[in-house]
Amino acid sequence: MGRTVGIDLGTTYSLVGYFDKTAGRPQCIPGPYADTLCPSVVSVDADGSVVVGEPARRRLLTQSARTIYSVKRLMGRGVADVQSELALFPFHIDSGSQNVIRVRLGDRVFTPPEISAFILRELKGWAEEFFGEPVDRAVITVPAYFNDAQRQATKDAGRLAGLEVLRLVNEPTAAALAYGLHEQRRGRVAVYDLGGGTFDISILKLVSTGEGDIYQVLSTNGDTHLGGDDLDNCLLVIARDEIRIRHGLDLEAHAETMQGLRKAIIRAKHELSSAARATVMVPLPDESVYIREITRAEFEGLVQPILDRTMGPVQQALEDSRLKPSEIDEVVLVGGSTRVPLVRRMVEQFFGRRPHSELNPDEVVALGAAVQADILESGVKNMLLLDVTPLSLGIETMGGVVAQIIPRNSTIPASAQEMFTTGVESQTGIDIHVLQGERELAKDCRSLARFQLRVPPGPAGLARIEVKFLIDANGILQVAARDLKTGEQQTVEVQPSYGLSDAEVEKMLEESIEYAEQDFTERQIIEARNEAEAILRATEKSLARLASEAPGELPEAERLAVNAAVSALREAVPGGDYKLIRARVDELNQATLPLAERVMNRAVSSVLTGKRVTDV
Amino acid sequence: MTTGTSSAKSSAAACWSCGAAVSGEQFCAACGKIQPPAAGADYFALMGLPRKLTIDPGELETRFHQLSWKLHPDNFVRASEYERALSLERSSQVNDAFRTLREPVSRVEYLLAQAGMRREGQQKQQAPPELLEEVFELNESLDELRGAQQQGGDAPEMAALSRRLQTARVNFEEKLGEVDRELERLSAEWDRELDAGASESSQRKLMERMNGALNRRSYIRNLVQSVQKELAEA
Repeated sequence: MGRTVGIDLGTTYSLVGYFDKTAGRPQCIPGPYADTLCPSVVSVDADGSVVVGEPARRRLLTQSARTIYSVKRLMGRGVADVQSELALFPFHIDSGSQNVIRVRLGDRVFTPPEISAFILRELKGWAEEFFGEPVDRAVITVPAYFNDAQRQATKDAGRLAGLEVLRLVNEPTAAALAYGLHEQRRGRVAVYDLGGGTFDISILKLVSTGEGDIYQVLSTNGDTHLGGDDLDNCLLVIARDEIRIRHGLDLEAHAETMQGLRKAIIRAKHELSSAARATVMVPLPDESVYIREITRAEFEGLVQPILDRTMGPVQQALEDSRLKPSEIDEVVLVGGSTRVPLVRRMVEQFFGRRPHSELNPDEVVALGAAVQADILESGVKNMLLLDVTPLSLGIETMGGVVAQIIPRNSTIPASAQEMFTTGVESQTGIDIHVLQGERELAKDCRSLARFQLRVPPGPAGLARIEVKFLIDANGILQVAARDLKTGEQQTVEVQPSYGLSDAEVEKMLEESIEYAEQDFTERQIIEARNEAEAILRATEKSLARLASEAPGELPEAERLAVNAAVSALREAVPGGDYKLIRARVDELNQATLPLAERVMNRAVSSVLTGKRVTDV
Repeated sequence: MTTGTSSAKSSAAACWSCGAAVSGEQFCAACGKIQPPAAGADYFALMGLPRKLTIDPGELETRFHQLSWKLHPDNFVRASEYERALSLERSSQVNDAFRTLREPVSRVEYLLAQAGMRREGQQKQQAPPELLEEVFELNESLDELRGAQQQGGDAPEMAALSRRLQTARVNFEEKLGEVDRELERLSAEWDRELDAGASESSQRKLMERMNGALNRRSYIRNLVQSVQKELAEA
């Protein structure tokens, strides 16, 4: 049996962690770029080979039609759900998609679980490389506010990646676990988790018992489509409009420039977390440059309405736990977007106390997942998570009204038994429609599944079929039916409304073997070489351009440094050491920074003086 | 959503694993394996509590934590499929019991349902006679408000209607509080009767009164909710 890891499958970044028994604490595992953060970006080559993480992210700028980011936004959703996002996310949805989205990458088509499986497989590879042992089981985290279909899609992704998913753990709960362990705190804790694409708020109670610590979630709420992506998009829309007005350019037709702009905006957003102002600078297809300064005050004014949307769920979660803000003992910030100073101020003001952010907000969820993975793997338990279901479970009744059978914030596993009977004579089946959500009418709730109970023919109202609805510890629904007259168990053929059937997953699993067999190291070498080629080409081009346009502008020392880095990289490329190639790529990147700046400055000054260089 | 079959084996007199005698315990005393739940065990018994309606929340929570610690699926990740199913069944029962007994109202509802006195959907329709007049007035105000909204009624008219509804809401919220206090008194009476070993017919009568209070409560609560909704939309 292989090892067990904890995985944070995030919208923007994913991480893999394990519990270091010697150190007595969880750790995140670094990947081939020596970073623990793996960009959740997947790119598929023309020959079908798959690139994941940092090299895929770099391809967003060059091969955007083959590359996808933020796929988590599509998990467990149908085409109709994501219409509003298509304007801002460059998802190429296949026209054949309905209740399971199919995404086109180059000339191939994938479902979101398959794409997520590529990310999981990459992280599995990181861990296997790190341990020198196979990894076959994992705890994977999901947003607490994920519904049944989104959870099932995540579980399917794990299976497609060759991982047995021991448990899906809610992200804020995992964070609380990592914090509780680290800080040895007790009492009532609010976890405010604003990530790349999702927002969760969870209220927990940490209790020490004679046997160990219990992390009991009292309530949870959130928005599975609210995160740092939305802040970026807000700025992106403004920049896009300004470019249209000022430069007469419509970026719709320039996907690569759009990605360049997005990258520059994200950098500016990050800078504004510590600086009072930042500048977005992007070369445009018409060879001019878009330059835009933004102050923190302006940024905050723009994103305030987005961040305000987090406060409704916060208030609802508190109300559901029957606590007042002042009754919360600790507030913990999780997720990269909580680095935004305005987020901190809003949270601090609401709870009247300074929130904790001692642990790295990017890593804390993966660390918690690693702790839970260790508990499940080793069977040695000194703590227990008691989580809740975020949404009420109901069934459709007469007139499209929903009868709630398991209320939201019920500790899971949770169950409800319902009795069904026939309404007319000789009825042979009873249709059941299961939903999730808080609204009164079925049409306003999320459809989970439909199934039909078989009944023996007879007079109306004679049949007695008991259906047991059970939400398991992963927050996923199971259904079992029993004929009370005969005592016979009935197999229920459940048709998920937004998800893959078992047979579909099975088929994908067979098809995915070709990907699994791509050797991890070999893949890393190919990727590293591709990157080396790309940067070598770019460096040559810049050198040539500067030499022809402004001979002598490049100081000799700089030129020598660049040349030395170029030769060092050229030497490393034929060898099989991908880490060395990557290190040399980074060195060359460093060495060419001043060069890139000169090229950029020339472009900028030519714009500012109204002149245009012929080839920037 | 996955399809599952729940473990339908009811509590046998012998442990499914080692054959030793068991009688509804969570674990076999001989081999330590988790056992199927006893058929028909009620939530009070499950939590190790008497069938009383006054429950110390701290004590209930402690028992909830103790049982969860032993029965949670986390403990059975590496166990057989059957044991995993039993853990799922047992721990979901504990959670259902905790959720039901935690709230005074759902506690009473559960007690009555167990006694066969409460059926889903029967208690909501009829207005309690003593409230008829006030409910009639309220419904009139609600209709007027909706009508005014549809015709784009002028601001002073809307404001006046909204004030009337506010007053009605406060009135019905007070009544809800009264019913809750009545339920509390009845619950305490139930506990005293149990202690005193009251006759079945006297217990039954008390349950009837509780049932009446619950019906009134559910009716008033629906009213309050619809007024709140209407006011929020206005």
